[in-house]
Amino acid sequence: MSMPIIGQVLATELRPSTPHAFHFWTGREAGAGIGTIVRVEAEARVIFGVVTEAFAWSDLARPLDAVIGADGDPASTGDAPTERVEMRLWTAAVLRQLPEQPVQPVPLGPVTLATDADVRLALRMESYTEGDDARGIPIGLYAAGGTGSPVLLDADFLLGPEAAHFNITGVSGLATKTSAVTFLLSSLFQRFPASKGTVAAVCFNVKGPDLCFLDQPAPLGEADLALWHRLGLSPTPFTDFTLHAPYKADGINLNTLRSHPDLAAQVEPLVWGLREILDFAEVVLNRDDVDAKAGALLDFLAERVVGKEFVAPELRDRPFVVESFADLDALFRAIFDFLETQSRGGEVWRTHHVATIRKVRNRLGNVATRSKGLVTDDGAVGDLPWGRFRDRSVTVVDVAGVDPLAQDLVFARVISRLREHLERRDLGVDHVVVFVDELNKYAATDGAETYVKRMLLDLSERGRYLGLVLFSAQQFRSQVLRRVVGNAGTTVYGRMDSDELALPGYATLPPAVKARLAALPKGELLVRHPHFTHPVFVRFPRPPMLSGREGVERFPAAADLPFAEAVVLRLRRHDPTISREAVQAAISGRPEDEVRRAIGAVARERPGEVLEFFRACLRRVIPAEPTAPPAGIRPLAHDGDDPFAPY
Amino acid sequence: MTDVAFAALRRRLQLGGGRPAQQVTDAARARDDTPRIRVAEVMEPPLRAIRCPAPTPWGAPVAFLDGIQRTELLGSVGTEPLVAARIAAGVRCRTDRLLEGAVHRVSHVVVGRPEALDVLGTLSPGWQAIPLTEDLEPHPYAIRDAARAAIDRARMGLELEVARRFRETDREAWLLVDGTLTSSPDWATDPRMIGLVKSHTTLPFTGDDLERYLTLPVGHRSSAYMPPTRSVTPIHAFGLRLWPFAGRDLLHGLLRVERAPTASALVEADLIAARLFAERAPLANDPRADRLLYGIHAVERWLGAIA
Repeated sequence: MSMPIIGQVLATELRPSTPHAFHFWTGREAGAGIGTIVRVEAEARVIFGVVTEAFAWSDLARPLDAVIGADGDPASTGDAPTERVEMRLWTAAVLRQLPEQPVQPVPLGPVTLATDADVRLALRMESYTEGDDARGIPIGLYAAGGTGSPVLLDADFLLGPEAAHFNITGVSGLATKTSAVTFLLSSLFQRFPASKGTVAAVCFNVKGPDLCFLDQPAPLGEADLALWHRLGLSPTPFTDFTLHAPYKADGINLNTLRSHPDLAAQVEPLVWGLREILDFAEVVLNRDDVDAKAGALLDFLAERVVGKEFVAPELRDRPFVVESFADLDALFRAIFDFLETQSRGGEVWRTHHVATIRKVRNRLGNVATRSKGLVTDDGAVGDLPWGRFRDRSVTVVDVAGVDPLAQDLVFARVISRLREHLERRDLGVDHVVVFVDELNKYAATDGAETYVKRMLLDLSERGRYLGLVLFSAQQFRSQVLRRVVGNAGTTVYGRMDSDELALPGYATLPPAVKARLAALPKGELLVRHPHFTHPVFVRFPRPPMLSGREGVERFPAAADLPFAEAVVLRLRRHDPTISREAVQAAISGRPEDEVRRAIGAVARERPGEVLEFFRACLRRVIPAEPTAPPAGIRPLAHDGDDPFAPY
Repeated sequence: MTDVAFAALRRRLQLGGGRPAQQVTDAARARDDTPRIRVAEVMEPPLRAIRCPAPTPWGAPVAFLDGIQRTELLGSVGTEPLVAARIAAGVRCRTDRLLEGAVHRVSHVVVGRPEALDVLGTLSPGWQAIPLTEDLEPHPYAIRDAARAAIDRARMGLELEVARRFRETDREAWLLVDGTLTSSPDWATDPRMIGLVKSHTTLPFTGDDLERYLTLPVGHRSSAYMPPTRSVTPIHAFGLRLWPFAGRDLLHGLLRVERAPTASALVEADLIAARLFAERAPLANDPRADRLLYGIHAVERWLGAIA
């Protein structure tokens, strides 16, 4: 279908056509706008361009002439019998020329709006959306020209190996960053070719309930449903969804806003022990802390002590078995006791200075305190399903309510483990998308060099070779490490802050595009992708799952349960028939740490007889036996004559 | 900047032994700009300033007619100059406040003494040679002025042609012409044509009448009068002050409006004056904007772009 001519290319000495840009004029009702894709066909060539700038002017010589002509009354301007001649001039950036060679300036010729087929050609989509190796991932509809043409990303440039990573920037609340990412994940899961391997997503929920309800369907309006269908996608929430959250400080209630009883089945505790923490001690110790001496001690602990029988006759006769922070602290206390008894060399234990030992003990102790709920002291570990990740599964790690130190620890460990497993190809899937929001916090240009920052850098620079892909979001791209955002093959902008757009980092965007970005409605994005010569505006549908706000309204978070009730609930997850009375009788009068340890053992062992096993894990109570009061000893014989006798 | 369309002619002139030159000439110089006074007959005595009523719609489409010319010295053969020109005329019609081109004609002419024109040989299609009379004095200025007058006439011919073609398709539209209606008997008798004359080289009154005429307040017209020199094609005219002249030349904003001397011409003078007064806006982007209506200006600009 040929489109009507809406304009003509013009080239003057002051506004010449070049191989990468051209100008055209239109009437006032042309249907063109910023972001519109147009087609020019002339001289046996076809040129596709995207409108990046627009101008209009009339033949008014001076502003004062308008005032004079209207006798100073603006309202009378419309009464003039003739309308002034008005110019609509558009600047377009060349998206593609066919044939591609030789590269020539755009010829003078008629301009038409792009059709669906034109959009496919203009964005070079035909190379990856057709044929046996079709691998297009819908990102939205190109809507600026009124055609609603689907725009697809190349999976090879989204998940690798050609390029990888996805980054979105936009102001909070209006840029629909989370919605865009969840939509793209849904699109990716539906359209990622099976021939390219398996894929799963690990999303870090860092604020509120944002990502807590991705498995819960949300009603969509007709317009959104039409968008979904136009994109060839099914509007369904994620079906394979698991949320991992650490406990609160009480060690029994989960620290997540997805705590409604109806949704408990998809929620798993995230609990790590000393072993897990010690491997990432660098995360919790800042650079000043981890000097060579502290590092050596940590290495010593990791290699020789934790998880092993550590024999130290100078400290005590029997060996140390360090499985928990409490065990480790006992070792430290023994070392300090030992050193205090030394008259000479009382400052060094096995080449480690007492000050270093005290510092490491202090920092590790802080971790256990500040990350209480995430870090367990009972040896029971709840972790992500390493080696058992399923294709098209979404795993949300909810760290919204935990201490920043614990958040860092979670990021670092999860990403490291993902990388390790992907290197060994034993994760369960071939590709993992890691979604991290708030890069302004975790990969800021300023601030201290953190382990998390290094992890994100490493992920963005080397992750694609492993199949580890970063989907990231932030409010201010200019304040995120350039190497993190710069490595994103696909970059997307939602509604942007004007101050941010004024920074030099956005100099490549034309002023009109910036102006549009500053007022972009919800659901629209500017997409930059390696195949697209220039970024294009797209509209994407609302995701078919509950947003965080909707989720907490429909599934309000359950109130924290009293300790005993929480224990009942935890045990009933393994055996719903367990009675409350039986559990309460078992734990009555026992220390909470002991009960937690027993619950951890149940979770770890998953026994057949849950209650029996639970009871067995509690310390045996020896019944008290009444004893008769001592009968006393008869006094010695009284000697009344002895004045010094005691009696 | 010279017109590239004349380059081929200059090459021919050089090949024919002439001396090519490049100089844009003043198109208006050939016109009769001699100031004079020709006392007119007042048709609405006494001569006075009459306030224009509130404007009312034209009641029919309005069209604007104008012509343009671009004249250049092509060069000389011996001592005799050859002058070339690109001339055009057109009509733009207004519908729903928007102007659209209705009719236009473009022509290229080269003017000179016959023997000078012979040097150019046979002209390309689209070019017209206009030979000057043999008895012209061989003074270069005399030839040049005569050439310009011939170009003026050629342009006038185009204007007459486009007006005729426009009238063939639309008899109802008001046709506002840049210049006098006396150029053609057809124009001078067309009740729906209005001549808008910006030039005041010929004034119609003397003494106190002239002062009254030249000091018309803004928004006023003069009494209608009949110029005396129009015996062949009589017309009615009146002065109309579009813009105040205070602090400026007395002629600033003063337009001479001509109409066919029909029975209704005097009756409708107020109405026509009011309608024309409303045409002050929008203001034309032109130094002559005080007397040049936007519609006429738009035709000039259009012709300049397409010719």
